[in-house]
Amino acid sequence: MTLLECRNVGMKFGGAAALTAVSISAEAGVITGLIGPNGAGKTTMFNCITGLLEPTSGEVMLDGADITKLAPFRRARLGVARTFQRLELFTSLSVRDNIRVAGEIRSRWSKDKGKSDTQAEAEHIIELLGLSGLADRDVAEIPTGMARRVEMGRALMTRPRILLLDEPASGQDEQETEEFGELLLHVRDEGTAILLVEHDVSLVMKVCSFIQVLDFGCLIASGSPAEIQTNPAVLEAYLGEDHSA
Amino acid sequence: MQDFLAYTVLGLCLGSVYAIAATGLVVTYSTSGVFNIAHGAVATMSALFYWQLRFDWHAPAPIAIFLTVCVFAPLLGLVLEVVVMRGLRGTSEVTRLVTPVAVLLGINGAATWIWFRSSNRALVPKKFFGESNVKVLGQAVYYHQIIGVLLSIVIAGALYVLLYRTRLGVTMRATVDDRSLLMLNGGRPDRVSMASWAIGASLAGLAGVLLSPQLGALQVFALTLLVFDAYPAAVAGRLRSVPLTYVGAMVLGLSKLYFDWISDAGQRWLVLRNLRNAIPALLLFGALLLLPQDRLRGAIVTRTRERFRVPTMREAVLWGGVLVAAMAMLQSIMSGSAVISLANGVALSLMALSLVLLTGYAGEINLAVFTFAGVAVIAAWQFDVGPTGLATQKSLSVGAVLLAMCVCSLVGGLIALPALRLRGLYLGLATFAFGIIVYQLVILQTQPLHFNIFGGKFTVNLFTNGSLTVPRPHWFGINFAGQRAFLMLMTVLFAVLGIGIIAIRRSAYGRMIVAMKDSPAACATLGLNLTRLKLGVFMVSSAIAGLAGLMWAAERRTLPNNADFDGFQSLLLFMIAVVGGIGYVSGAFIAGIFLSVLSVVMPDVFDKLGSDYPSLHWLFVTVLGNFSHYVGPALVGIGLGKNPSGIAQQIMDGFRPLKKAPGATAIWVAAIVVLWAATWRGAVSNWHFSLISVGSLFIVPRIIMSVFEDRFAEEERAVAGEDLDLIGIDRAFRSSDRQVLDTALGLPAGPSGGVE
Repeated sequence: MTLLECRNVGMKFGGAAALTAVSISAEAGVITGLIGPNGAGKTTMFNCITGLLEPTSGEVMLDGADITKLAPFRRARLGVARTFQRLELFTSLSVRDNIRVAGEIRSRWSKDKGKSDTQAEAEHIIELLGLSGLADRDVAEIPTGMARRVEMGRALMTRPRILLLDEPASGQDEQETEEFGELLLHVRDEGTAILLVEHDVSLVMKVCSFIQVLDFGCLIASGSPAEIQTNPAVLEAYLGEDHSA
Repeated sequence: MQDFLAYTVLGLCLGSVYAIAATGLVVTYSTSGVFNIAHGAVATMSALFYWQLRFDWHAPAPIAIFLTVCVFAPLLGLVLEVVVMRGLRGTSEVTRLVTPVAVLLGINGAATWIWFRSSNRALVPKKFFGESNVKVLGQAVYYHQIIGVLLSIVIAGALYVLLYRTRLGVTMRATVDDRSLLMLNGGRPDRVSMASWAIGASLAGLAGVLLSPQLGALQVFALTLLVFDAYPAAVAGRLRSVPLTYVGAMVLGLSKLYFDWISDAGQRWLVLRNLRNAIPALLLFGALLLLPQDRLRGAIVTRTRERFRVPTMREAVLWGGVLVAAMAMLQSIMSGSAVISLANGVALSLMALSLVLLTGYAGEINLAVFTFAGVAVIAAWQFDVGPTGLATQKSLSVGAVLLAMCVCSLVGGLIALPALRLRGLYLGLATFAFGIIVYQLVILQTQPLHFNIFGGKFTVNLFTNGSLTVPRPHWFGINFAGQRAFLMLMTVLFAVLGIGIIAIRRSAYGRMIVAMKDSPAACATLGLNLTRLKLGVFMVSSAIAGLAGLMWAAERRTLPNNADFDGFQSLLLFMIAVVGGIGYVSGAFIAGIFLSVLSVVMPDVFDKLGSDYPSLHWLFVTVLGNFSHYVGPALVGIGLGKNPSGIAQQIMDGFRPLKKAPGATAIWVAAIVVLWAATWRGAVSNWHFSLISVGSLFIVPRIIMSVFEDRFAEEERAVAGEDLDLIGIDRAFRSSDRQVLDTALGLPAGPSGGVE
């Protein structure tokens, strides 16, 4: 079932077009990859979906409803959560409190107000993400790879229907990335849609069922990992015109 | 119709001068991100400098103008950029606002010291070409005004050429977009900043010279306020666009002159006779409403330099108790006049406390704390005394306090509403404008207001006859009218409110407001309605400000309407609260005491020294006393860029060694208590007590540090781990080192996650 659908989304900054009529989608219970070279417009797309930017044209639909004009916090309440490529952690709070406060914010707006035990849920997420050893540390002093997991934990605390991850594996080493891949599959299996922006191609190929490729603000390809790996347009975008090697 | 056209011409003349002032503000903001609230002070200083050259030393006008606008003002701007503003990179918005506030107060203090130290000298500047004028539609338009219009047109053109046609201009615009990218491309942002501050200051200087004849005789703060009037024009230009700023400036000039026209220069409606002075502030609110919603901002710098530790509840209660006990002991041995200074300080601390919640935790700004005090006083007075007239009430009732808090909270909510969807700076400006509006239209109003509501007559007493008397409370069967009792009441109130504020910080609500400060964008994507949360925090902190303001007023007993409400006291308090340590309750306490000590106690001490040693009178009174009074508070604010977390943090760091040497600390505390007892019995003078106890505050931690240095170093190694690079070189690798390495690398604990 298609949960998120972006139709012909365009975004212009002054004269420069960051996105030109891009249509992408994401399904519930599926990890969808969104890849492309630097500057392709992936983060801009995320900003348009979460409402930090209002697209200059096109629509963003969530579960059939148009959310293009909604404020970011309203979209979050409908189940859109994200992490940031440039970290946006709450630097005055500890790792535990970063995750906990997300649950506390959620309990202010969610319908099952007061019923859920935020603290226990936060501990569960901390455990799940392998952050137990760091829970009492200041987020400003933990390594980037771990900080990205904190952002993911924070997003998960809102119990999202769709999770947008912006380069979550950068800063994590090989073994951590492997664990992280397992974690993504676990979240997917619980029915959450995941839209994954990531430069670690092996991770993308491993976990994504469907991949969409952006280049210079345009959608240039979409398909299964196998199709994308052999798509000439994708190879050209990544390797340049001469890609016979 | 002819009148209308004539007033339009005059309005455009005034608007031109505002445009010059406001574009200066825009030029500095758009290249440095600093809203230079000291712009008005630069203008004032330049106007005084011009007066000195032109009218005291009788220099020819062109030379005086050249030296003022092209030499003195730009140099002042350069010095500000190099010495002060450059240190602000990587600090929070609050610090970037407070430092220019300190500069403003410092420059104005210096100007007062230089030109107005000795009694009532009238400094009267004249217009260019004196009173020569041409008649336009029957209205005299002075050459001075025409020169203003011409200059503003020339400046508009020159700025356009500079920004769009020169290399410097391109670099200036690039600095705004991405400073580090510009550096990588061989640009020199430092030079650009210097240039823009020089240009901005030069424009301020020109505006100051052009505006000053309006005042008749020059006055430092009045002239600064006159230049403040131009700030809404810059806000209308979103602090970036020069053309929109010009439009805003013209609207501003025209509004003032049209008001003159329809109100017969303020004579028609006496209740509104000060409205003219409030027009810029009202327009600022209008401009704020028109501004588009801000793009949600993430953490601009990933890690600002300010850090605040949160005390546990146990610590909070313990320190609250210590504060009350120490104050009780202290006041019992202090002289009456010292108790008054201390009470004044604690009252200011209470007011600063409202800013800890608002600014320290939530990152929002209130530049009108004293205005809330004024509103609270009016509300409480209305409740206790009613419309009947003079104060007959002997004590302040609980009902009055509650009403005052509610009114402040509501008023706070109303003024914050238009600015909440914008960045914090705009809320700060909105509160400042609110302060000016209330000052001009309410607090300066000396007649009671009469309303007919649904046939019933209703009278509101404002500052009738220019002052209000606020009685002190008589609660829980205790009469707090006496100075010492009232000091203790305020201290207890401070402790209780402080503990309450720390409890808020430690609650879910507190975590949310801190999260909002750290990253608004992330909060929004978690589903938080930022506007509502900000509104709530602002209302709570306004209520605290109201309560604190009432106590401050009761401490003063009689409150004149012209002393503390013109906006500058609020700026000073805000600045000192940040200097004290805006993220700490203890910071608020330090701030109040500090302000009282610097502006009251030190000059008194120097006065006394001056009269004791007449031969050194000039040193103690003329130099040190005036310096401490006029420039002292500003100087500490200017130093903020170096230590943005404030004095409270420094003190806590200084006292850290005591924690590790509890025995020595206990001996020290016991010694002070013994000394206090001796003083109380009269065996030691209180002068010696304060000398020894205050001195020991500085010396004892150092002594403990040096005696136990080795042990501390060892413990620190144990906690932080040794220098990891040297493990295996300095000594053999131990299995316990693995844990240390894991922690340092941020790996999860346990056997599976370790580094082999």
